Amino acid sequence: MSKVLVAAKNLTKKFKQLIAVNGISFEIHEGECFGFLGPNGAGKTSTVKMIHCVSPVTSGELTVGGTPASINNRKIKMNVGVIPQEITLDIDLTVLENLMVFANFFDIPKRQAKERVADLLKFVELEGKKNSKIDELSTGMKRRLLVARALLNHPRMIIADEPTTGLDPQARHLIWQRLRQLKRQGATLILTTQYMEEAQQLCDRIVIMYKGKILKEGIPERLIEDEIGKEVIEIRIPKEEDEKLIHLLSDSSCGHERVGDTLYFYCKNGQDLKKKVVDLKLTNFLNRPATLEDVFLKLTGRSLVE
Amino acid sequence: MNLSYRIYYVFLRNLISYKRFIFTTFLVSLGQPFFYLITFGVGMGAYMGFIGGRPYLYFLVPGVLISSVMMSSTFECLYGTFVKMIHEKLYDSLIATPVSAEDAIAGDIAWGAFRGMISGTLMLIVSAFMGILPVSFINLLLLMVLMMFVGVLFSSLSMIVTSYSPNFDFFSYYTELVVTPMLFFSGVFFPLDKFPGWIQSLSQFMPLTHAVNISRAVYSGTTSPGLAFNFLVLFVVEVIAFVGGVKLMKRRLIK
Repeated sequence: MSKVLVAAKNLTKKFKQLIAVNGISFEIHEGECFGFLGPNGAGKTSTVKMIHCVSPVTSGELTVGGTPASINNRKIKMNVGVIPQEITLDIDLTVLENLMVFANFFDIPKRQAKERVADLLKFVELEGKKNSKIDELSTGMKRRLLVARALLNHPRMIIADEPTTGLDPQARHLIWQRLRQLKRQGATLILTTQYMEEAQQLCDRIVIMYKGKILKEGIPERLIEDEIGKEVIEIRIPKEEDEKLIHLLSDSSCGHERVGDTLYFYCKNGQDLKKKVVDLKLTNFLNRPATLEDVFLKLTGRSLVE
Repeated sequence: MNLSYRIYYVFLRNLISYKRFIFTTFLVSLGQPFFYLITFGVGMGAYMGFIGGRPYLYFLVPGVLISSVMMSSTFECLYGTFVKMIHEKLYDSLIATPVSAEDAIAGDIAWGAFRGMISGTLMLIVSAFMGILPVSFINLLLLMVLMMFVGVLFSSLSMIVTSYSPNFDFFSYYTELVVTPMLFFSGVFFPLDKFPGWIQSLSQFMPLTHAVNISRAVYSGTTSPGLAFNFLVLFVVEVIAFVGGVKLMKRRLIK
């Protein structure tokens, strides 16, 4: 078993009346990619902000690398790289200046910083943009620059808070590639996301958060298998026909759920059911592999989260 | 107070970003003293005659110089800081590094003071061309120190306002109801002794009054017993404003 890097016990965060994080416990190991999944307002960002010491812990215990996380713990901040959710680049500075000024904050000597910045600009494919102003960059470029900025101090732990929100597929895949590359180089990755695909692409272990609590913890594939099975069959039929259909398909040992205009079947093995559906000549159906999204929706309910 | 040498890094960040605004701000900083010196100094000065045995400009320049430091520092730490905090979210990324919230705010206060010193120095140059300078080189250096001190004071006071401000409009309360009256009731443009007693007492509560008194003493090289009291008031207000400004801003930045 690898070393524990982050340990939380009954971790709680309150903002006045609102309980953002409600007594959660988890452990993150060195070298793994750990994901916090959840809808908006689940408490993911509040949790990671406590981990990288910009938000004080209300109650409970939280240690990072063995030392308690607190907003005055400069040692932790020295070894963490943060890719924030919001684009917090310094718009008064150029791309190059952004990185050089930031390197300063980590006490990196100028000569060393110059080399590091050149390497990082190559790493995120922004060499050609080093003298550009921030508003001349596309959203994807800005996100990549945030990645580069987070890596200036050679962090042991990288926190990526929804790093691909609002990106097109090319930019998103580039960021994933880079994050995987960093993990291979030995960094511990902590990711928050509401994109299930992202979690499946990157994470070794995840927790699913909802309303400040952890609903489930585990390895993505196993969670899918335990909670949903292998396959999902979606059938779009009017609600009135549910009973008849469920009765006809009842012996295929699949769980079912009605949400809005769709009847869902969750199966360990969908062959049997699929055959029946084809025999019934139903046209409005879709057979696909089960994903983390199904787990997520099953656990948090398919209704809109406000 | 978790302060460290990293204040300097924050100051440096501001200095690097300043390159882009330097021309505009120099022009604005020069415009204001010209405006005051010409309207009050030359225009009104023709009617004022002598104050304290010397031409009116000798009375006016030390006061206008210090109030231009006040103005620049104040505006930098109101609008400048607010933009960095709310629109650019600069502090959010700063506090995720080894730079603490206190470092970041103190760095901005230092920056505000520096902006004040630039305005004061430009004013100094303009008035030097009119033949008005502190009596000796030592006094000139003292004047620079005073400018820095006054800059930190008004930057810190502005931080307190910024820490409560929901939007830009909020700043008007401070600039219109505090800063502008201070400019006219601190003896910058004319001596306070013709005012009724209660206004004179009120003016003693305004830090600018004390700063202007010291500035005049530095220019003329004459000391008076009241100076010690002026220093004491400035010092006390400065310490309270600095600690208060940093703490209140920190409360706003860290949630």
